Amino acid sequence: MRALTYTSFLGIACLVLEIFNLRKIVVPVVVIALLAILGINFTEWNGSSVSFYNDMLRADNFALAFTGLLIVTAAGLVAMSGSFYDTEETKLADYISVIVFTLCGGIALVSFSNMAMLFIGLEVLSISLYILAGSKRRDIRSNEAAMKYFLMGSFASGILLFGITLVYGATGSFNLAQIALYASGPGVDPIFVVGVIMILIAMLFKVSAVPFHFWAPDVYEGSPSLTTAMMATLSKVAAMAAFYRLFSVSFVNNFSGFAWILSVVAALTMLVGNLTALNQDSFKRMLAFSGIAHAGYMLLAIMSLYQNTANALFFYTVAYTFASLGAFAIGISVMKRRKSEKIEAFNGLGKSNPFQAVALTVFMLSMAGIPPLAGFFAKYYVFFEAIKTQHLAVVIVAVITSAISVYYYFKLILAMWTKDSEETDAPAGAISYIAIAAICLIVTLALGILPSLVPSINQVASK
Amino acid sequence: METPQSSYIPIIIQAVFAAGFVATMLGLSHLVGPKRKSQIKDENFECGIKSYGNARIPFSVKYFLIAILFVLFDVEVIFLYPWAVNFKVLGIIGLYKMLLFMGLLLVGFFYIIKKGALEWE
Repeated sequence: MRALTYTSFLGIACLVLEIFNLRKIVVPVVVIALLAILGINFTEWNGSSVSFYNDMLRADNFALAFTGLLIVTAAGLVAMSGSFYDTEETKLADYISVIVFTLCGGIALVSFSNMAMLFIGLEVLSISLYILAGSKRRDIRSNEAAMKYFLMGSFASGILLFGITLVYGATGSFNLAQIALYASGPGVDPIFVVGVIMILIAMLFKVSAVPFHFWAPDVYEGSPSLTTAMMATLSKVAAMAAFYRLFSVSFVNNFSGFAWILSVVAALTMLVGNLTALNQDSFKRMLAFSGIAHAGYMLLAIMSLYQNTANALFFYTVAYTFASLGAFAIGISVMKRRKSEKIEAFNGLGKSNPFQAVALTVFMLSMAGIPPLAGFFAKYYVFFEAIKTQHLAVVIVAVITSAISVYYYFKLILAMWTKDSEETDAPAGAISYIAIAAICLIVTLALGILPSLVPSINQVASK
Repeated sequence: METPQSSYIPIIIQAVFAAGFVATMLGLSHLVGPKRKSQIKDENFECGIKSYGNARIPFSVKYFLIAILFVLFDVEVIFLYPWAVNFKVLGIIGLYKMLLFMGLLLVGFFYIIKKGALEWE
């Protein structure tokens, strides 16, 4: 788990750069370092899944694959932060170090094999996000977002801790393998079940699933756009992977009792997320509800714990992350230029800046699940796994809501291509936004044409 | 696993007694104690300089910042005690780990000095 160590040191190195007034080089240095860490991370690929620090962390393929995805996401966010924070240069290195520390939390979350590490990872991730959500000090909406997120998040953390305590009380161990051993044995204590349900509630809160989603739209809307992008991609993917890891390793044997809870939650999440997104007129709020809906689709993968489900989940998160990151890269540059977060701000983008409009159209279509883009195969794999485990009713809901979602994604596309604005020629925008959007575009198209490019992470499922 | 929950009953009794004692005493003093009400009696300060203004005025958050930083570093120094006690057992590896820890602490310390968090004015 060298990636985690190096990332932590990178975060501290940012602070050192800040001390020595080297803010000019911090963005390129951190991006290059993150890409180097990405390379180091995959040298452990397909190795014998080693455990670290008394089995606190385990570097199996599942952990390494998700770590890689998180590092790429973080590198993209850091690359954009240079031009995003161009009015607050004095704080740039601080913001970047907080982003890197968020990544640390994410890495701990996808590679834990001990409940203590799960909690630490979740807290490092959440606390960094609370800071970033409130980082626009003089903006009252940013303050509101930070306050709401902090209060709700603290409650969720408390419930998680309570759940972990009860599970510990029943099993006498924090270790995932030990807990699995207890859970598969005869005579499971009722407090174990209560504990698992509390952990379930906390995890559902962190991935913003219905009925624990109420914080998400306000927090997404109020936070600075780059932080919103981070919550939608990095934080959601890490929490989802942690959720899957926890349930697939520890609670898989007495899962039938929880599967129906999850199927109801997943169906509700998809319905509420997609239906509420229909009449949003703010770009960030729409993406927030679309993110809730996508959490519902990812829950399908957690619900159907089957041999290939880890692969389906990984493919889904990759497709979702790149579409989302690209959409935010373009959205941020447009919203900044036109000083509005409404969907009307995108009017006439097709004429004034065709590249941005084409890229954003592709990301929206990918999220809606239109072939031949990455999002189509993502949904296909997840639905396929769910059908294999006899969750047909939920899949029907998923397909219907997916059709509904096309409507609001097209609202944005129509605004860009059919409506006019007074703006005639738009400046190209900062190079970093364009570069990130281009990379995301290439990945979204490539995965749609060749879905086998995403490596198989089956090593975990056989454990 | 059977938890002997009955052994917690004394704790509950004690908690009930503690809460009940406080409630009874406050209630009794309220009921039995003398009461005189007048405009002068109800003022915040019965004697001394006449009060003016509001107690809820904005004041510098510098104090909180320094207090929080103090707590942070104070708590981190606590880690030195277990290390000092087990110095011989932990040996040279323990020394390296503590050096790393203190190094990280120092980076944080220099950071807050450079950021001007300790300047009062």
